[in-house]
Amino acid sequence: MLESKRNKEGTPEINAGSMADIAFLLLIFFLVTTTMDQDTAYLRQIPRKVETTQQQTQVEEKNIYKIAINSRQVIQARDSIIKPEEIGTLSSRIKHFYLVNRDRKTNRNIDYPYYAFGSVELYQNNLETQINRLEALENQEVIDENTQRRIEQAYDAIAQWRKKLEMAEIYTKNSGKREMPEIAFEAHIRLESFLDTDYSAYIAVQSEIEKAITELRDEEAMMLFGDTYSRMNTLVQQRAAEDSPEIRMYRERMELIETLFPLKLIEVKPTR
Amino acid sequence: MAKFKKSGSSSGPTINTSSLPDIVFMLLFFFMVATTTKEVDPLVRIKNAEGVGVTDLTPFKQRSEIDFVYLGEPIQGDKDLFDKGVAVQYDGILHPNGIHHIGQWKLEKFSSKPADFTAPKENVITCFKADEHVPMGIIFQARDILQDLEFYSIAYAAQEMGNNIEYNIREQ
Repeated sequence: MLESKRNKEGTPEINAGSMADIAFLLLIFFLVTTTMDQDTAYLRQIPRKVETTQQQTQVEEKNIYKIAINSRQVIQARDSIIKPEEIGTLSSRIKHFYLVNRDRKTNRNIDYPYYAFGSVELYQNNLETQINRLEALENQEVIDENTQRRIEQAYDAIAQWRKKLEMAEIYTKNSGKREMPEIAFEAHIRLESFLDTDYSAYIAVQSEIEKAITELRDEEAMMLFGDTYSRMNTLVQQRAAEDSPEIRMYRERMELIETLFPLKLIEVKPTR
Repeated sequence: MAKFKKSGSSSGPTINTSSLPDIVFMLLFFFMVATTTKEVDPLVRIKNAEGVGVTDLTPFKQRSEIDFVYLGEPIQGDKDLFDKGVAVQYDGILHPNGIHHIGQWKLEKFSSKPADFTAPKENVITCFKADEHVPMGIIFQARDILQDLEFYSIAYAAQEMGNNIEYNIREQ
């Protein structure tokens, strides 16, 4: 009662009738200057240039999953021809390539990459061997250039085995299995295209590769940590600047999953 | 008829519009949150390629660690003026040298980054936004140039196709 009286007497009410107009104006401004679609892409790396005089050893056929796309967008994956309408089958083929010899020590399929089985003990052994080697090298009386190089190599090897050992420890702890399967180092996907292959066809194949790898990693992560790889990845991406124990744990886990299912993709420069 | 006249002559109840600003503001905020600002006006026609499992580039854009190259048919002018009918757009311009300009453009872009920009050269992504019919040969030419200049990170732009699992690719 009092308030309404005061209103009548003095302070005039602000006319809010034009508020809607102002808001509409702003709304239309934002509608015009912005876009709805997000930018999304497949992130890839261009390999570094390496100059060597050494003769390169040929990678064995079984370690290569070769995909070629011709100028009519027909795909050849290993020995099978895939019509453009059937690109969707490519991801399961790639998954097959990764999984055939996993968990197989004998009776392996000779057309697919072999697996090596590491364990905490094995890596510990390797680490100790390298440490002993380093000590022996450093205790030498004359340290010439050659020894220096070997010392550096030993340091690298130690760092590498430490990393592996950490991974094996996480793997054993979470899976309960003693042995960690690791795909052959040379195993890779080789993507060949023609000069006039369509961008969309190339992207469709990239998409299938991404899908295969993500599914493999997600399944493995689900089994080991009860969480998917994709979810961990988005979380780490969003909080990239952070260095909390939680994020570090996710990074370690992701590194393990990436070692178990590495994405080695070679994109070959088209020549015809 | 009589009834009609009656209702017409008497002034009906007015609609209360006091909540209109609230509704409009709600819409406004929705659009502010759900959209992103356009960086450049497109000069080439691009129909996006589609795929699954794409990476969202927003965090890289926020850190300005990404540069976009647009490839496609020019919207205005004759497409035959360009090599293989594909015009290449860098920021606001269609460069006459096409894809061969990418090296110079990347170097200029990299040196004009703000002083507090710390990411190394190889982490600055070059994103190819190409029309679905752009031939891959052009992109591999660009890859060679970028490799020589040590810009090793690239990205192939694609749109998430969600539940539609069919790729829209036909044999030609």
